[in-house]
Amino acid sequence: MEKYTLPKADLPKFIKEMIGKNRVYAPVENDNVTLFKEINTPSNINLDFINSKIPPKSLLFQQTETLFKFIPGTKGKIDPPDLDDKKTVIFGIRPCDAKSFAILDHAFTGDFNDPYFINHRKNTTLVGMSCTKPGINCFCTSFNDSPAQSKYLDILLTDIGDKYYVEVTNEKGKQLAKDLKKHMQPAKESDTEKKKEIEKKAIKQITRNQKTEGITEKLDKIFENPFWKEVANKCVSCGTCTYLCPTCHCFDIQDESTLTKGARVRVWDTCMNPEYTLHASKFNPRPARTNRVRNRIYHKYNYYPKNFDIIACVGCGRCIDLCPVNIDIIDVVTKAGEVKL
Amino acid sequence: MKDNPYQPWLATIEEIREEVGGARPIKTFKIKFNDKNLQNNFSYIPGQCAMVSLLGEGECFFAISSSPTKKGFIEVSVMKLGKVTSALHECEPGDTIGVRGPYGNHFDVEGWKGKNLVFIGGGIGQAPLRSLINYVVDNRKNYGKLDIIYGARTSKDISYKQEFTELEKRKDVDVHLSIDVTEDGWDKYVGFVPNNLLELKPSPKNTIAITCGPPIMIKFVIQNLEKLGFSEDQIYTTLEMRMKCGIGKCGRCNIGNLYVCKDGPVFSHKQLKNIYGER
Amino acid sequence: MVDEKKLQDAVKKTVSRDDVKYVVGYEKGTYGFQVTPSFAYDPKDADKFIFSPLCVYNLAVFPMLEEKPPLRKDQEPDTRKIGVVVKGCDARAIVQILQEKGLNREDVVIIGIPCTGVVDPKKLQAQFPENGKNMDIKTGKDNFIITIDEKTHTIAQDKLLDEKCKHCEYPTPILYDILIGDEIKATKKEDYKEIEDLEKKSMKEKWEYWEKQFERCIRCYACRNACPLCYCKECMVDQLSPQWVRRSVNLSENTAWNLLRAFHLAGRCIGCGQCERSCPMDIPLMQLNKKIEKEIKELFDYIAGIDPEEKPLLAMFKPDDPEEFIL
Repeated sequence: MEKYTLPKADLPKFIKEMIGKNRVYAPVENDNVTLFKEINTPSNINLDFINSKIPPKSLLFQQTETLFKFIPGTKGKIDPPDLDDKKTVIFGIRPCDAKSFAILDHAFTGDFNDPYFINHRKNTTLVGMSCTKPGINCFCTSFNDSPAQSKYLDILLTDIGDKYYVEVTNEKGKQLAKDLKKHMQPAKESDTEKKKEIEKKAIKQITRNQKTEGITEKLDKIFENPFWKEVANKCVSCGTCTYLCPTCHCFDIQDESTLTKGARVRVWDTCMNPEYTLHASKFNPRPARTNRVRNRIYHKYNYYPKNFDIIACVGCGRCIDLCPVNIDIIDVVTKAGEVKL
Repeated sequence: MKDNPYQPWLATIEEIREEVGGARPIKTFKIKFNDKNLQNNFSYIPGQCAMVSLLGEGECFFAISSSPTKKGFIEVSVMKLGKVTSALHECEPGDTIGVRGPYGNHFDVEGWKGKNLVFIGGGIGQAPLRSLINYVVDNRKNYGKLDIIYGARTSKDISYKQEFTELEKRKDVDVHLSIDVTEDGWDKYVGFVPNNLLELKPSPKNTIAITCGPPIMIKFVIQNLEKLGFSEDQIYTTLEMRMKCGIGKCGRCNIGNLYVCKDGPVFSHKQLKNIYGER
Repeated sequence: MVDEKKLQDAVKKTVSRDDVKYVVGYEKGTYGFQVTPSFAYDPKDADKFIFSPLCVYNLAVFPMLEEKPPLRKDQEPDTRKIGVVVKGCDARAIVQILQEKGLNREDVVIIGIPCTGVVDPKKLQAQFPENGKNMDIKTGKDNFIITIDEKTHTIAQDKLLDEKCKHCEYPTPILYDILIGDEIKATKKEDYKEIEDLEKKSMKEKWEYWEKQFERCIRCYACRNACPLCYCKECMVDQLSPQWVRRSVNLSENTAWNLLRAFHLAGRCIGCGQCERSCPMDIPLMQLNKKIEKEIKELFDYIAGIDPEEKPLLAMFKPDDPEEFIL
């Protein structure tokens, strides 16, 4: 790990340097909505944000992605896809969202590799920004993570007052830092102390806690419990929680074409929509909201840990913030743990 | 191309056979890959599936209904139900389609050597069983007694008629066909498949039972197999779900932590008893 | 102020009836200013029922979300009623659904609450962005009195009031079985001021404005699913053949979706604002709904959801209907 500091006034230069050789995505605010967008100048960035409304997973696993193009019909032809090889930097990504990529890696590799995700992932360097003011529904600490951890980032910046504390964690980070070094100074012991202090303060500000201990095993025992109906009663089956979740990775594949050209696209899909599992015969294995809400929780806290040994939740709190009926995953999981057998 | 599991290979429909007519018709498509090398090297084991697509309409996941012992082509049997299957039913020989696969696990054709096999199929559920039956018949000496129990709503709804007739002629295979309601000229069993099974009483000794059909049929077939003394690891079924990717990524075909497309579609009853999840 | 004890007693009485399945009302949510739908299957469940200016949600959606699983041969259909706690605006949703025969009158027990106006949660959050604790809120004369950690804040009503409440003409439910408290007379009038301002924009400006909004739509369909009037068995946007709207999320398809949604609510939207509140991307959907509402009022002198006996607007015809819009 290499440690530097960057004077705050030099941040624009630092970012400009990155823009020169990379496609840079950064948090941009528009109509009070902060999203990761491609930037051409540092002045567009908004760093005064808790987190982006749509998680940056949308940059690696795009909501709509063309798999390949074709000439449609019974005499059709396929154009081999061009995978986008552009070097990319996601600047300002939060440590929780960076962890989500490590979680998604499991889903998109394995027996079959997903070339689209893997390609974006390979070409993307994550330059994070520590959370010094976590939101009211942040709970990354429930997974023993910290709002200022550098673990899943290539480079992490932490605001320590008049300068940023910069941690370069790995080879990918070092590659990018090569051009950035001229703006930075090696960190002093006191800077490192300052970062630790700020991290502690940030952790302290996280007030919400999800009890996740033993949850995977507990869920094994309560699949048929009426608890799930209680939770699902108020669900309206919209896709907010899943679309805004940094670890949800389900998608639909559709052919979209005109008479002469077409594309096979994949689009985010949501297990909250009854249509998601509906067979052509009209049989639906998950016909009720209870089935679907339960599937969402189980996928994150039981199926994913069973398959990949990690809970598929990073504690970003988006699904809690934006659920129209206050289905609160902290509350649901904690209560699931308390269900009497 | 191998690096991209979403990109199908182009293939040509060689022949289309109408298996069943009526409101829910079934057709079998004989398919050859356009790339000769690929056609020669495409290997699969009974029970495995393929994603078949018509460019512009979409993709569907089908059991490969041909046996790998018959080289030079693959076959899928398709019931006309949704958007893609309806479009496929409009196709003609010579038309180009996309195929990717093979996907999923398969029947344990090696492990079952030396055992008696009972096949219990209903309706379109016969498609994956057909692959296995043809494979076993083509390697007849490796297996014990073979019983094929198959039922359809009416005699018109029986798929693979020609092949059943051929099989019935063989002395080393016992075929037990049934239809649900009485019909003029039908001298075989009348009634539901699970009942036919119960009356035929196949012995569980050194036997594996493989069933595929409508969910309700599978449920009662398994109950009756247990009544006949079959243990949960002697019963196998192959399942179906709505699928999009075929490779365990898109999420929708899960039963508990398993994906039917990747971890299935073949499951033992023992396995299914121990996973929870909607199916 | 609404007497919560009275409300809870009414709910207890209702849920005790053999012909009632459950009553849906409000309870405190899990954090901050959240209030969440609450389901009483049992009289004791009613103890957590509340009513405060945070009860902005339109609960009329829940009878429409009831799943009707296929019955086994020996099963009787569950015909028990669902009790719904409604404000004036919410009651109009039920009236509209009754008009359309989406529900029968005997399917629901309506527990009406005369309402002086509720707060817009987004405005409240903007005032207290860092508050994660449960807060208490009461309606004062011209203000809202908010208590957090025993500290009291007074904020002018105008600053927090939900937009729909500013022009509410139906504070007391039009239709109810039980009314909690006394009727409140309407004092406000719909003026469509915001819509008139939008109408003044040029075509180009309008497109620019809406493209900016629709661009960020993620097509989660929270607007549709939270809406009591969006209860089609199969939404046209989910249909595959024919496919009216593609699944691709881009400006063109998003625009199609958002406009189709608004048009499918023409003469049916009762203005509760649930779609806009549910939208995670803050798209001002009510401006679309209100524009259509205004046109319909001007063209046909029709207001949705005020008379259960009337025929739905698009299902009736009068010889003197204006038809300038027919080319």
